[in-house]
Amino acid sequence: MTELVATVASYDQAAALIAAGVDRLYLGEDYFGLRLPHSFKPAEIAEIVELAHKNGRKVTVAVNGIFHNDRIKKVAAYLEKMATIGVDEVSIGDPGAIYLLQQAQLNLPYIYDAADLVTSSRQINFWGKHQASGAVLAHEVPYQEMVPLSKQIEIPVEVTVYGAIAIHQSGRPLLQNYSNFVQEHLNKTDRERGLFISAPHKEETHYSIYEDLNGTHIFANNDLDLMLDLPKLWDLGLRRWKLDGLYADAGNFVKQVATFAQARDLLDQGQATTDALQALDQTVHELQPAERGLDNGFFDLDPNEVK
Amino acid sequence: MLKTAVKHPEVLAPAGTPEKLRIAIDYGADAVYIGGDAYGLRSRAGNFSFEEMAAGAKYAHERGAKVYVAANIVAHEQNLAGAGEFYRHVRDAGIDAVIVSDPSLIETAITEAPGLKVHLSTQASATNYETLNFWQREGLERVVLAREVGIEEIKEMRQHTDVQIEAFVHGAMCIGYSGRCVLSNHLSLRDANRGGCAQNCRWKYDLFDIPELGQKRELLGHGTDGKLEKFSMSAVDMSMIEHIPDLVDAGVDSLKIEGRMKTVHYVSTVANVYSTAVRSYCEDPEHYQLKQEWVDELWKVAQRELSTGFYYGTPNEDFQLFGKRRRLPHYAFVGEVLAYDDDTKQVTVQQRNNFGVGDQIEFYGPHFAHHTQVVSDLFDDKNEAIERAPHAMEIVHFTCEQPVKPGDFLRAQSKL
Repeated sequence: MTELVATVASYDQAAALIAAGVDRLYLGEDYFGLRLPHSFKPAEIAEIVELAHKNGRKVTVAVNGIFHNDRIKKVAAYLEKMATIGVDEVSIGDPGAIYLLQQAQLNLPYIYDAADLVTSSRQINFWGKHQASGAVLAHEVPYQEMVPLSKQIEIPVEVTVYGAIAIHQSGRPLLQNYSNFVQEHLNKTDRERGLFISAPHKEETHYSIYEDLNGTHIFANNDLDLMLDLPKLWDLGLRRWKLDGLYADAGNFVKQVATFAQARDLLDQGQATTDALQALDQTVHELQPAERGLDNGFFDLDPNEVK
Repeated sequence: MLKTAVKHPEVLAPAGTPEKLRIAIDYGADAVYIGGDAYGLRSRAGNFSFEEMAAGAKYAHERGAKVYVAANIVAHEQNLAGAGEFYRHVRDAGIDAVIVSDPSLIETAITEAPGLKVHLSTQASATNYETLNFWQREGLERVVLAREVGIEEIKEMRQHTDVQIEAFVHGAMCIGYSGRCVLSNHLSLRDANRGGCAQNCRWKYDLFDIPELGQKRELLGHGTDGKLEKFSMSAVDMSMIEHIPDLVDAGVDSLKIEGRMKTVHYVSTVANVYSTAVRSYCEDPEHYQLKQEWVDELWKVAQRELSTGFYYGTPNEDFQLFGKRRRLPHYAFVGEVLAYDDDTKQVTVQQRNNFGVGDQIEFYGPHFAHHTQVVSDLFDDKNEAIERAPHAMEIVHFTCEQPVKPGDFLRAQSKL
C-alpha cells in the first residue's frame, strides 16, 4: 500500500489531514527539525501522536537539523522523549544524531533525511546498514536515475510529491545582513513575511527566502507537483509520498492532501487513468496559492542535462 | 605558566597541478591536496593522473610531506561504477588519504581499497563532536570541519573526540552550509555537489514581496554611497593569519588553505606565510608575535576582502560583499629564478609576466626570504640589452645585488 505523508501545522489540521486520508503525519520543533510549518513542543507532539494512533496513523518527528555542539547535547534527551511519547519514527540528517540514537538503544526507528545529499542507492543502503528504516530522496534525482536506483535500494525511500523545495541553507542571517547594509529595516524576515528573490535577467522568477533560528532558507522557483508522475513512481515501487505544506494555506493544504489521497487510492486499486489524474491535477492547480507556481522539478530532466 | 614548544599542526595547501604540488611543498606546506580525474569537486582544476599522483607522492614523501586526494562529489546512480578501482589506484599511487563527502564513496574507499585512509570532506558539514565520533567509529582518520564551526566549538570538540580535526584557515567560502546548497543545480543546471557550482550566490538578485496578486513590490535599498544595492549572498574570503595561536591551542591538527583553482603565485605565497607563522608560534609560543609583513603578504594575492568567517561568531554584513568593492593592491607574478651568479651578481629569470627596466620587483622564496629592488638593467638570452621582457617564458638576466636562489619567485605591483 502506498503511504501518504503530510506536514502538520496545528492539532486541528492534523485531525483534518487524518480525515483526508493521510497515513503519516510529519511534524517537529524548529530547534531540532528544519523548515517546518509549525514548531511544536513535546507536549503538543504527544497530543498529535495520541490522535494519530487512535486513528491508526503514524507520526514522524523531524530531528533533521545540522546540529552544532550546543544542540547536539540536547538531542539524546529529545530522542528519548520522542520514544517515550510513542513517536513512530524520527527523521535525521546529522550522523551525530544517529550516533546518539544508536547509543541510546531506543525503540525509535529513523529515516535518513539529509535534503539534497541523498542521491544514490548505495548511499541509501549505507544508511540502511546503519539501521535507517528508510531515506528521503533528494529532489534533484531525475526519474531516469530513480529507475536503476529503485532496483538497488534495500530500504524504502520517501519521495516528495508536492510542496516547496528547499535549495539552500545558510548559517548566516542573509536577509538581516542585507538589511543592515542598506540601513532599511526589513521589519520581518520570517516565513510569514513572504519574501522572494528573483535571478538577474529573470524577473519572472520568485525564489522564496526566509530566516529562522536555523539560518536562511531559499526555495525553488516553483513548488513541486508530481501528480501526473505518480504512476511512474508507483510502478517503480517508490510508494512513500510526502506532501509539504510549508508554504500552503492550512485549509487548502488539507484539500491538496485529499486530492493526492484520491490518486493514491486509484493507483493502489489499479483504477488510475490519465484522465482521472489530469482532473485531480487540475484541482491541485486550483488549490495552489496564486503567487506560487507549480512544476515537476527535476523529474523529467535527462541526467546528462545537469553538468 | 610559561608556554613551551607545542605540537606543530599541519599546514595543508591546495595543488591544482604537479607544478603547484612541488611549489607548495617547497614553500613550506606540510601536506597538499589534489584532485583526480574523477570524483572531485574541481572538475575544471588541473587534475592528476595516477602516474602524476605517484610522482607527486614520491616528491612529497622525500620531503616529509603528505598528499591527499579530494574525491568529494555526492554521487548519483551513474557515478558509482568504478569507484572502488579509482580508490585502489589512488592507494597504490602512495597517496596518504582521500577526502570524501558521500557516505557511499566513504564505504567504497574503506571496503574496496583497504589501507587507504579516509578524511571526511567539509562538504559533509560536520558541526558537532558526535558527528566526529560517528565518522571515527566508521574508520575515518580525520574530519574536515564545516566552515560554520567557531573556535570555542573546536575546543569543546577536542574534549569529546580524538579524531584528527582539519579546519579551513584561508581562502574562499561558501555562503551556505557546504553540500546543502543546490542553487547552482536549480538556477544553472550545474550540480554544485558534482563539481559544477556556478557560484550563483555571488549573483545580484532582486528582493521583493507580493502584497497583492500580480504586484511585485521591490524591497531593495541603497548603500551609504546612495547607490541602489541588489540583494546578494557573496561571502568575503577567509584569513586566520592573525589568529594562529587560537587555532593551534584549540587543537586543530591541520590548517587548510582553500584554492585548487588558484595560481602558483597564490599557492607559494599563502603556503609560505602560514607555514612561517605556524612554525614561529610552535617553536616559541611565549614570544610569538604576529608580523605585519605576513598580513601584507597575503593581501598581495587576495582576490576579495578577508575575514575570520564563523570563528568568532555569526558573520554580519561586513563579512559579505556589498557596495563598492575596495580596490585591492594587485601584484603580478612576473618570473621564476633559474640561477644566480655570485661573482657577476646576475640573476637568470624565466619570465611569467611582462616586466622591465625601472619596475620595482620583489623576490620571495621559501622560509619567507624577501628582497625588493628596481630593475636597473635587463638582457635577453643572447646577452643583448633590452628594456622589457614581454615574451612568455623567455629567459632573461639582470643585476641583483642580493643573492637569490633558484626557485625563488618575482612579483611586481601592477600599476593601478
